[in-house]
Amino acid sequence: MKTVPRQIVAFGGGGFSMESGNPLLDDYVLGLTGAERPRVCFLPSASGDADHYIVRFYRAFSAHRCEASHISLFRREQGPDDLRRHLLAQDLIYVGGGSVVSLLGVWRAHGIDEILREAWQAGIILCGLSAGSLCWFAEAVSGFHGAPKRLQGLGLLPFSNCVHYEPKSSRRESYHRFLREGMRAGYAAEDGAALHFTGTELSRVVASRPEARGYRLDVAGQRVVEMRIATTFLGDRGVVPTAAVPEALSTAVAA
Amino acid sequence: MEVRRILALGGHDFTSRPPDRAVCELLLRLASERGGERPRICILPTASGDTSEQIGRFYAAFGERPCEPSDLSLFRLGRRPMALRDHLLAQDLIYVGGGSLVNLLAVWEAHDIASILSLAWRRGIVLAGQSAGAMCWFEAGITKSSGRPLAAAGLGLLRGSLCVHYNNEPERRAAYLEAVGDGMPGGYGLDDYAGLLWEGEGSPSALTARRGARAYRVCNRGDSVSESPLPARFLPAPAPAALREDIAEFRRLKSMRKRAGWLG
Repeated sequence: MKTVPRQIVAFGGGGFSMESGNPLLDDYVLGLTGAERPRVCFLPSASGDADHYIVRFYRAFSAHRCEASHISLFRREQGPDDLRRHLLAQDLIYVGGGSVVSLLGVWRAHGIDEILREAWQAGIILCGLSAGSLCWFAEAVSGFHGAPKRLQGLGLLPFSNCVHYEPKSSRRESYHRFLREGMRAGYAAEDGAALHFTGTELSRVVASRPEARGYRLDVAGQRVVEMRIATTFLGDRGVVPTAAVPEALSTAVAA
Repeated sequence: MEVRRILALGGHDFTSRPPDRAVCELLLRLASERGGERPRICILPTASGDTSEQIGRFYAAFGERPCEPSDLSLFRLGRRPMALRDHLLAQDLIYVGGGSLVNLLAVWEAHDIASILSLAWRRGIVLAGQSAGAMCWFEAGITKSSGRPLAAAGLGLLRGSLCVHYNNEPERRAAYLEAVGDGMPGGYGLDDYAGLLWEGEGSPSALTARRGARAYRVCNRGDSVSESPLPARFLPAPAPAALREDIAEFRRLKSMRKRAGWLG
């Protein structure tokens, strides 16, 4: 039996959904597949399977560079009959943004949660932004509606996660509070930054914007320790750093 | 105690065609019976994924009528935050649109909507809906949420089960009769433009907005499943909106003339 690395790329925000004209993060995840014409399936259910979102996906993942498909759980009669077979035949599964609470509810109702775990174990690359990042973690900070809330994700990655981690945002503030209240340690990413996990280890942080960063968050007593992680800007051509060790790269500590 | 009311509709749209107008008129009347001249009517379009199309059609039907229409779109809350509980409990009628019954219930559960709807019902807020939005009130329905027609659970405010689009989708009806034969609780079959109205305790009254559209009682008799049509009251379509405007214009002119002393 061959062993393949399990990989998840969790965007703090970015890709075709948020960065029109900047394909760096989407190119990065496509490149990870190693396939000449990767099979990519988009899961847009966090948006309620919004038509305009699906159209934008197909525009970004055009036929000349990949074999794109999507699954609308609100219109099952139009899609593949066997969801498991379709998903397990992909090279990359790309989860869109929206409401992570609704997404997880709908996934459970259709058994997608179990299929995604299987896909991950089979080496299919999982990625997504916003709700499509939070979903992979054990715990997540959702700011989709009203005050940020603490919730449980699929738990493939045994950490907490916060997206759109901009300075002075209410999400950042809430995340720190949740950590002090006992939420497990985890990772945050700003818009344009993506956390690339191999297995359950963070292997590197990449970014589509020079200033975007990822962070590691821990709690020591009542103190939240925020470590900024060295991030590779994907727009610098020729820079192909090896896997980073986040613990060795802390540059900032905040309360 | 408030009278608990639920209107389950087998299938309709919000167009200006006569049977659709009849359904809208009924919804408006039920809402007015609770809320007076300008009742509050809220659509929950989440079974469709909160599509602009479903929301737009609802506003097109109710926007110009004497009511306060709103939509509570759970997938759109990010851009338009709403206090779910307060908003729902302030309504006179809550209308649930069609789509995926399985997804509707899953998203409701994730947002804890079921307990609010149950409370709304006990407080006398009218609950209504078509297709998935009708089956959701029962213990079970036959949904095509996974492509093929299959049994799925609803909220269970009403005992038994419901199958919608009874005349239009023979495969759904067949799946229903089979499921009831296999032990699913019996209930009702509703053609498009047929409805059932529960008002307080007891049996529902059957309604129809199109000649020939029927409601059926479906029961497991042990060795067979029986299907008996229920006597239904016909809902006539009101005059179309354009005609209503003409009538209003005529009345305005008439009162102006009266004031000016041209008549009588």
